[in-house]
Amino acid sequence: MECYSEQTCALAVDGELAADEAQRLRDHLATCQRCRALVDALRAENRVLSESLNELPEEKASPASFSPLRWSWGWGDLAILAAVLALGSIISGWFNELSIPAALEWFNPLSLTGLTNLILNLSYYFAHGGTAMLTDYAAVVGGLSLLLGGGALLLGRRARLRYPHLRLLIVLLTLSLPSFALDRRHADFVTVAANETVDDTLVAAASIVRVDGVVNGDLIAIARTVEVRGTIKGDLITAASRTEVSGTVEGNIYTLSHTLELYGQLGHSIYGAVQSLHVDDRGHVGQGVVMAAGDANLEGEVKRSVNMVISESGDVSGSIGRDLTMTGGSLTLTNTAQVGGNLSARVRQLKDVHIADGATITGKRDIQVRVRQSHFTRPRFYFHQAVWLAGAMLVGWLGLLLFPGFFQATTRLVGSGWRSLGLGVGVLAGVPVAMVVIAITLVGFPVSLMLLAVYLTAIYLAKIWVGAFLGRILLKPSGATKGDWLVGLLVGLLILTIVGFIPYLGGLVHLGVVCLGLGAFAGQLYRASRPAVTV
Amino acid sequence: MDAKRNMAKGPQPREGGTGQMEGLDLESVIESARGHDAEALAEIYRRYVRRVFGLCRYMLDSRENAEDATSEVFLKLQRSIESYDGSIPFPRWLLRVAGNQCIDALRRRRRGRKVITEVEDGAAVIEAASSEPSPLGAVISKEERAKVRDTIARLPDNYRVPLVLRYYSELSYDEIAQQLDLKRNYVAALIFRAKQELRRRLPHRSK
Repeated sequence: MECYSEQTCALAVDGELAADEAQRLRDHLATCQRCRALVDALRAENRVLSESLNELPEEKASPASFSPLRWSWGWGDLAILAAVLALGSIISGWFNELSIPAALEWFNPLSLTGLTNLILNLSYYFAHGGTAMLTDYAAVVGGLSLLLGGGALLLGRRARLRYPHLRLLIVLLTLSLPSFALDRRHADFVTVAANETVDDTLVAAASIVRVDGVVNGDLIAIARTVEVRGTIKGDLITAASRTEVSGTVEGNIYTLSHTLELYGQLGHSIYGAVQSLHVDDRGHVGQGVVMAAGDANLEGEVKRSVNMVISESGDVSGSIGRDLTMTGGSLTLTNTAQVGGNLSARVRQLKDVHIADGATITGKRDIQVRVRQSHFTRPRFYFHQAVWLAGAMLVGWLGLLLFPGFFQATTRLVGSGWRSLGLGVGVLAGVPVAMVVIAITLVGFPVSLMLLAVYLTAIYLAKIWVGAFLGRILLKPSGATKGDWLVGLLVGLLILTIVGFIPYLGGLVHLGVVCLGLGAFAGQLYRASRPAVTV
Repeated sequence: MDAKRNMAKGPQPREGGTGQMEGLDLESVIESARGHDAEALAEIYRRYVRRVFGLCRYMLDSRENAEDATSEVFLKLQRSIESYDGSIPFPRWLLRVAGNQCIDALRRRRRGRKVITEVEDGAAVIEAASSEPSPLGAVISKEERAKVRDTIARLPDNYRVPLVLRYYSELSYDEIAQQLDLKRNYVAALIFRAKQELRRRLPHRSK
C-alpha cells in the first residue's frame, strides 16, 4: 500500500482525521515503519510546540491593568523611591561639584542664583501666559504637529504606521525644526567684531556674547552676559544673567534675564521676564514694553504702551507714548514722567502709587486697589476653564488616535502609584539638569531644545494621563473602548480641575499629578523601548 | 452533571491571591461570578490572567495591545460569563473568548478586514511541499523552547494566529475556522505550512 502524505499524518496526529480514514492509517502504520517514524516525529513536534508555547516566561500582565486601586507601600516601592532620591542627591552633588562654565552657573537649577532665576523667571513667564514669542513658537510647533499628526493619521488610514518610534520621530523632528539654518558659535567669549557682519541668524552660547558689529538676522544667545553694542537687524532673543543693549536692535527683544539694560535704540518692543529692567534715559523703545519684572526703571522713551506686572517697584521718569498699565507692587511717577495715554494701576494699597505733581498724564488715571475678588464670580473664569478643558480633551483625543496603545498603557501605568510618583519626581528634577548638561556641549543644543519640548509636552500631558486614570477607576467602564477612555478623561480632568482650586492642597495635588503623569510617561517610554517579540 | 464537572477541568494556574475564594473549587467560583460577585471575578482573574495574557501576547504585536486585550477580556467577563454553559472546560472557553477578543483587535487594526484572507492556491499546494519531512525534535532545552517561542512570535499573522490557537488554546480546526471565518481545509493548510515555515526558520534544531 502507498504511504500516507505528511499532511494526512499531521491531521491524524492533531486528531483531525475522519474516523474511517484514521483507522486506515492506523492499519497502515502497523506495517510501515517509515510512516510510523513520521507520525512519531510529528507527535513529538506537536509536544514541543505545546510545551514551548505553554511555558510562559516571567513577563506577565501587570495586575494594575485590572485592579488599579491595589497600591501598597511595598518594600520594592520604598526601595525604588529611596534609590531615586539617593541617585538624585548624588547627581545633584556631582553636578554642583562640576566646574560648570561660569556662563551657565546662573542657569544651574541647583545653585541658589540659578534656582531663583529659574523659578522667578519661569513662573512669571508662564503665569502670565508667556510672551508673544512663546505663543508664536507654540503656534508654529502646534500647527506643524497638527499638520504632521493629521498627515500621519490620514496615511495611517491607508497604510497604518506600524512603528511608534517612527511617529515619535515625526513629532521630534517637528519640535526641532526651529534649529535649522543657523550660525552657531560656542566659546567662552563670542564676539562679533566691529568690522564683522553676520548674515545669518546667530546662535551663541558663551560666558560673554558681545556684538560690536552687525548681525543681519536674529541673535539667539544663552550666556552670562549679552552685550549688544553694534546692530542687530532682526530680533534679540536671550536667556542670560545680564542683557545689555547700548547699540541698536531693529526688531524685538525677547528675554529671560536677570537684568535687562537698554541704553540704545530698539526698533520694536520688549517682551520677557526679568528681575530688573532698566531703560536708560538714552534708551529708546520704538514700540511697546510687555514685561514681568521684579523692578522696573523707565527713564528713557517708549513710543507706545507699557504693560508690566511688577512684583516690587516700578519707577517711571521717562516718557511713554500711550498707555501705562501695571499690576503688582508699587508704582512711582516722578516729575519728569510723561504718559501719553491712560494710566491704569492695580495695586494692593492706594499708597503704593506715587505720582509726582510734575508728572504728565494725558488720559485717565485709573488706580484700582485690588481687593482679591474670587475668580468664581467672574464668567470669564468659567469660560477659560472650559476652553482649557476642551483643549485638554482635544489633545487627549488626538493622542489616543495617534498613539492609542501608548496613551492607554501610560494611563494604566499611573496606577503603579508610588513607583510612578518616585520616577516622576526624578524625571521632573532630573531632566532640567540633563538639559543643562547637554546644552553645555553646543552640539547637544538642539537635543536639549528637543528635550525641553518633550519635557514641557509631557508635563502638559501628565494631567491627561492622570485624569484618564482617575476617570477609569471611578467609572470602572465595562468596556475599554476609546469612548470610555475619553469619558473617563473628562470626568478625571473635571475632578482634577475642581481639586486644583482648593488652597494649598490644590497646589500639592497639582504637583503630585505632574509627577505621577511624568513617571508613568517615563515608565511607559522605557517599556515601549524594550523589544516586543518575546512573550 | 457532565457540564458542571467540565467546568472544573483543565489547567488552573494560580497567580497567588489571598481572598476567601482562593481555596474554592472552580465550579463554585464560577457560580458566584455569575451572580456578579466581585471577589469571584477577581479570583478567576487571578487564576487565569497569565494564561489569557499569554494568548493575547502571542496573537498581538505588542505588550500594550496584549494588556489592553487581556483587560477587555476580564472586563467583559462580568457579562459574558452568563453565556458559559459548561459544555466545554472553563479555561478552554475563556481562551476562546480571549481568542475572539484578539481577532477583533487584529480586525480593527485592519479596518474591519478579515485577519486572514483565503487565497486560491489553498490546500492544493501542500502535498507538493511535503516531500522531505523533518519535524522538530522531541526533547529540547529551555533555551531552545524560548527560541521556538520567539520564532513563532515572528511568524506572519496568517501562520502565527492559527498555530497559537491550535497549540496554545488547544482549539480544534473547526473552532479555529469558525473564529477566523475560514474553511476548515484552509486552516489545516495554514497550520501545516506554519510548521514547515517554523522548521525552515529554526535550522539548528535538535533532532
